[in-house]
Amino acid sequence: MADQMQLNNISENNFEQCLKCSICTVYCPVSAVNPAYPGPKQSGPDGERYRLKDPKFFNEALKMCLNCKRCEVACPSGVNVGDIIQKARMNNPHKPKLRDMMLANTDFVGSMATMVAPITNFALGLGVSKAVLHSVMKIDKHRTFPAYASQKFETWFKKNAAADQDKYSKHVSYFHGCYVNYNFPQLGKDLVKIMNACGYGVHLLDKEKCCGTALIANGMYDQAKRQGETNMESMRSAIAKGRTVVTTSSTCTFTMRDEYTHLLEVDNHDVRDHLTLATRFLFQLLDDGKIKLAFRDDYKKRVAYHTACHMERMGWAIYSTSLLKMIPGLDLVMLESQCCGISGTYGFKRENYETSQKIGDSLFNAIAEADVEAVTTDCETCKWQIEMSTGTPVLNPISIIADALDVEKTIELNKNR
Amino acid sequence: MKFNTVIMGGGLSGLTCGIALAKAGQKVAVVATGQSSLHFGSGSLDLLGYDAQGAVVTNPVEAIKALPESHPYNKVGDVAAAAAQAQTLLAEAGIKVNGRATANHNRLTPIGAVKPAWLTLDEYLTFDGDKLQCKKVALMNIIGYLDFPTKFIAEGLRKMDVEVEVKPITLHELNEARKSPTEMRATNIAKVLGNEELVMHLAAEINSKAGDADMVLLPAVLGIKNDALAQLLKEQVRVPMHFVATIPPSVPGTRMQALLRKRFEALGGTFLNGDRAVKGTFAGSMLKSIETEKLEGTKLEAENFVLATGSFMGRGLVSDYEKVYEPVLGLDVDYIADRTQWTRDNVFEAQPYMEFGVKTDAQLHTVKDGKVLANVYAVGQVLSGNNKVKLASGEGVDMLTAITVANNIIKK
Ligand code: SF4
Ligand code: SF4
Repeated sequence: MADQMQLNNISENNFEQCLKCSICTVYCPVSAVNPAYPGPKQSGPDGERYRLKDPKFFNEALKMCLNCKRCEVACPSGVNVGDIIQKARMNNPHKPKLRDMMLANTDFVGSMATMVAPITNFALGLGVSKAVLHSVMKIDKHRTFPAYASQKFETWFKKNAAADQDKYSKHVSYFHGCYVNYNFPQLGKDLVKIMNACGYGVHLLDKEKCCGTALIANGMYDQAKRQGETNMESMRSAIAKGRTVVTTSSTCTFTMRDEYTHLLEVDNHDVRDHLTLATRFLFQLLDDGKIKLAFRDDYKKRVAYHTACHMERMGWAIYSTSLLKMIPGLDLVMLESQCCGISGTYGFKRENYETSQKIGDSLFNAIAEADVEAVTTDCETCKWQIEMSTGTPVLNPISIIADALDVEKTIELNKNR
Repeated sequence: MKFNTVIMGGGLSGLTCGIALAKAGQKVAVVATGQSSLHFGSGSLDLLGYDAQGAVVTNPVEAIKALPESHPYNKVGDVAAAAAQAQTLLAEAGIKVNGRATANHNRLTPIGAVKPAWLTLDEYLTFDGDKLQCKKVALMNIIGYLDFPTKFIAEGLRKMDVEVEVKPITLHELNEARKSPTEMRATNIAKVLGNEELVMHLAAEINSKAGDADMVLLPAVLGIKNDALAQLLKEQVRVPMHFVATIPPSVPGTRMQALLRKRFEALGGTFLNGDRAVKGTFAGSMLKSIETEKLEGTKLEAENFVLATGSFMGRGLVSDYEKVYEPVLGLDVDYIADRTQWTRDNVFEAQPYMEFGVKTDAQLHTVKDGKVLANVYAVGQVLSGNNKVKLASGEGVDMLTAITVANNIIKK
């Protein structure tokens, strides 16, 4: 009898494991504040049953999904609810608007803006240009744009750091991402400082393209796939040299490790295990006794850790927080894990601004109550949203570690390892 | 990563055990696979509702003594003491419950049936015997909310000799929420009603519709984070008001899950949300470490391990066409070898598979390939010998076995 039975799940995304328990709906940040959204169960497994019969059952409301994956984390049956929804969107492509193309092409727009950073920053802050963005481009006028740095990280690295890196005996490659390159090179510099102190040389990839998170969210799948393939190629050649590829963004990491295969069909099976978040890389080295860190005695700060959605999905917050807890002068408050509402480019769109802020409200209140000097999180878009909405500065855990690090002592500790 | 104890499972049993251990100063990690069955909770906890013959139990502590030897309560030792410890643990987590282990009270189910219960959240309807302390009930429901079948509930209430009037109520904000009928769920309504101002509006609406009723009953759609808003509403309604459980997802269950997790983390516990233990490394009869799906390359090492992965639904147990097995560590499972004996055709009969579960010794140590594992315990629904549906004993087994194991570990 048994050999005639289907023993294993044969559907994509564990679709057929759905028990209809509705637990996912409890944790969807959108359905809680926007009643026009049908919610994860309906948009995901329930709707999929109809869509499998006839694609015309596709519902435009699926675009309201943030792709935060909190439904997947909550589902006790392992259904990839968010992936089902994103796949359905991919099968019903729409032509992206100019605004969406602009928001999605973080690297192209980034390089244009960096060239003229003071003007861009000034212009993005101006009432007039915000009004144009709001009405013509439908980018919400309440948004503050992340400032563009006057010197790209890559430029800084080539001028100031690259030449020194070969003197180390161990090496990593760094996927810095658009945000470090165009908006916040300091984070990249912080990583180089830590890795060098631990005896690791840092290298850029042969060719780095935006990971594609924003392209996926804005329906530009072909471009995302092309960029993904370029990134995988570059990483393969770094891995061939025996290097791990580290990042400082949870979202870039999640996209390249998981969304590439789940959504874009970009083959990453030989790269995935060698691509990791810098905090995880450091923690594992420490845990295995391969490196040591020393911290300054005079470092004192009270900060709150915010678990970004994709960090929650990866299950890796433990690495960042365990590292942070090693800093003697750091008073770390754990915030309840919940969505900040920005979800990449989602919150920038005028039609989403209100939903986006409503979603974040509960987190913003928790931050206010925590009474901290700074918030720390592994995601850069959360940083924009939290800084804009609460006025509390937001730091990547890597920046906190770099700041608290006793560089001389750390170099000494790792000299002969 | 090193811990004193690693617990697999983040529901009621896993968190109870985690809190008890963390409170005793242990460094504890909980690996939670998705959200737990607390989300189907009724706002009440069962200790023992019915005996093995199906008769209603009035004094659970007494009736437990008559359970068959295979029942996990026989490994708890002092049931009354463990029950008291459980109640304290809930209170310290901010979960206010009423009830006694020596005297069940009654509650109303979402379909209007009367059932015995051990503990019930403070704002929820309970009664002794089959008498409500009122003459006329205004049974209110929010327009468009479908998980509260008022017709059945009214019928159930009328059997207790009270007059019942069903009253639809609404607010502008609740009408808005109806735009997506599938999302008009108790938990989403609780989020919509998540501030004091709206609760005041709701109180005004209830007061205006209560007429001459001397008791108001409302579906459990308030207070997803804690009981503050539910208590506020109670104060503002001019006659005694109580909540009645709804069809899941459950607001009181979601709240309990959140408060227990919060308490565990406040005690220094590490909660790995949405991860899954996938395998263990043994040295003789000792488990050295486990690995999880997401923390690839990182072993969770500990002196003791607790399996709190639940029954079939939580995938603590898995069945295929030939066998029932424990998927993480491959522990020995008590089950009937003959596949045809797993179920009975009449769904309302006690189903034999409900009693399947991992084998344990008197201290709740698990067994693998016939050998007792000295540092691996099991708690809650993954244990064999308990039919929680037939006995109405789910939460009691979860909490009491968890507390017993925590005490056994601390005593070591
Ligand atoms: S997707 Fe998962 S959480 Fe949602 S209804 Fe199905 S089984 Fe439940
Ligand atoms: S991915 Fe996020 S926004 Fe989308 S359905 Fe799931 S929980 Fe809701």
